[in-house]
Amino acid sequence: MSDFLTLQDLTLAYGGTVAVDRLNLSIRQGELIALLGPSGCGKTTTMRSIAGLLTPKSGTIRLDGRDITRLAPSRREVGLVFQSYALFPHLTVFENVAFGLRLRREKDLDAKVRAGLATVGLSDFADRAPAALSGGQQQRVALARSLVMNPKVLLLDEPLSNLDARLRLEMRLELQRVQRETGVTMVFVTHDQAEALALADRIVVMRDGAIEQVGAPEEIWTAPASAFVADFVGFETILPDPETGGALAWRPAAVSLGHGPHTGAVRGVSFAGAAREYVLDTPLGVVKAETPASEPPLPLGAEVAFDLPRETAARLPGTL
Amino acid sequence: MFSSRAEGLALTLPAAVFAAALFLLPVGILLSEAFRTAEGGWTLMGYWEFFSSGRNQTVFLRSLKLAAEVTAVAAVIGYAAAYSIVTLPKTARGRVFGLVILPLMISPVARTYAWLVILGRTGFVNEALVSLGIVDSPLRILFTETAVFIGLLQLFLPLMVIALVSAMENMPRDAIPAARVLGANWAQVFLKVILPLTREGLVIGGTLVFTGSLTAYITPAILGGSKVLMLETLLYQRVTVANDFVSASVIAMILIVMSFSANLLLKRMATARRSRAAS
Repeated sequence: MSDFLTLQDLTLAYGGTVAVDRLNLSIRQGELIALLGPSGCGKTTTMRSIAGLLTPKSGTIRLDGRDITRLAPSRREVGLVFQSYALFPHLTVFENVAFGLRLRREKDLDAKVRAGLATVGLSDFADRAPAALSGGQQQRVALARSLVMNPKVLLLDEPLSNLDARLRLEMRLELQRVQRETGVTMVFVTHDQAEALALADRIVVMRDGAIEQVGAPEEIWTAPASAFVADFVGFETILPDPETGGALAWRPAAVSLGHGPHTGAVRGVSFAGAAREYVLDTPLGVVKAETPASEPPLPLGAEVAFDLPRETAARLPGTL
Repeated sequence: MFSSRAEGLALTLPAAVFAAALFLLPVGILLSEAFRTAEGGWTLMGYWEFFSSGRNQTVFLRSLKLAAEVTAVAAVIGYAAAYSIVTLPKTARGRVFGLVILPLMISPVARTYAWLVILGRTGFVNEALVSLGIVDSPLRILFTETAVFIGLLQLFLPLMVIALVSAMENMPRDAIPAARVLGANWAQVFLKVILPLTREGLVIGGTLVFTGSLTAYITPAILGGSKVLMLETLLYQRVTVANDFVSASVIAMILIVMSFSANLLLKRMATARRSRAAS
């Protein structure tokens, strides 16, 4: 498969601070990519530069064989769904979706807008004002507004973060369906690993303006390439490995409590539905473990034995 | 908020009495002056006489024209300034906004006199023009409409900028980038997004600048003098020099009517745009 969207040595700076540092990334046509990382890691900056809202200091962006690095946003054939949705409050839902098509003077405007609204299930809302819609509906209008433009790449900034838990699941399915039906290449930005794992074909984990790891969700989940990625996807106990000189990382469930060569004091307990989560102060450092909720809770301050089995750990290359 | 409507009304009573006795009543008496004949009847002769004077017509049209020009230019500069202010980072935004407000804290008399220094025959504008060889001898800028225009613009521009900055801050975040990604060039972004979403600010700023320019006294008096009479300076002249209270009353009425009409006109323009956008 050929590369559809490529970022080459992309560097962006605000004033003196480098937000994105020589980033390289290739995306195939029809892929669903997640840019994952904590706030300030450069994921939103990267996305805005693909849309043309920020001009890179250096590096190139190529889309479908064309160098778009310095092209105006209006000429890139890139769609962007903003985190705040950014609907135009003075226009109806219909006019919001028609906005870009009108600028292009497209024919069959009415039919295209109606089709766009039908795709996101909002056919009955054409004449409403955006303010009269719920957050989820507003987001779907924003999605339709981008989709009717038939973009080569659709960018989504934190598409699920403003929605409540139930809507989030619904919107996740909706995005997957839209991607399946339209085949559009999608890049979305998120700080939520669960979102990235559930939606993306490939996840790009970012940290301090650079890529930390690129991989399929399974790969990121089971074989993190660094302590940072491991920590980000829930390996909460990370210790140096004396045998290899690298590091080992355990999820709370991979730590066995109640027996083993190490001991620690229970500093915190929290009930999390299916499991009970423990924070242990140990000579090795802080260890996080969990037991099934059906087991009786350990009291705070109790000394407890535990084991960190090598076979349940993820091996991280490089030192801590 | 109040336990009863009567209580709320009672609280507004002192202010209402104050306004009625000390403002509405005297203004009413003053304005009615122009409609009275010597015998105590009613007449429109005051207005007829005022407008039949060629000089008065010139002053009326000049005031209207200058106020409209200042408002239009202030709107253009104001939009550019307001946009660059709202796109600044938070701390820099506060500082630049402070700079915009700063002139408002300086007496208009001082500000206007500063223009005498800048625009005079030996002021630095003329010095620069002559030494650069753009003109052979100093231009006469003071005591022209241009001088009054510059003075009024400088005086009232901050009000436009303030009104537009607060209007732009209330625009939805990312509305402008959203329009650009959807294919709008900068002109389209302005006409289809910024203008409709800031029209309230434009109406407020426009009304303030227009009324301000129309009713300013010090600036036209100093920078225009008796060569470039405006309604306001003419009014003062009629009262102090000619003791002509009928003309003064007519001018006062004209100023009031023009201020209100400007506000209504701006509002009308704004709502006309809105209904078209919604259709």
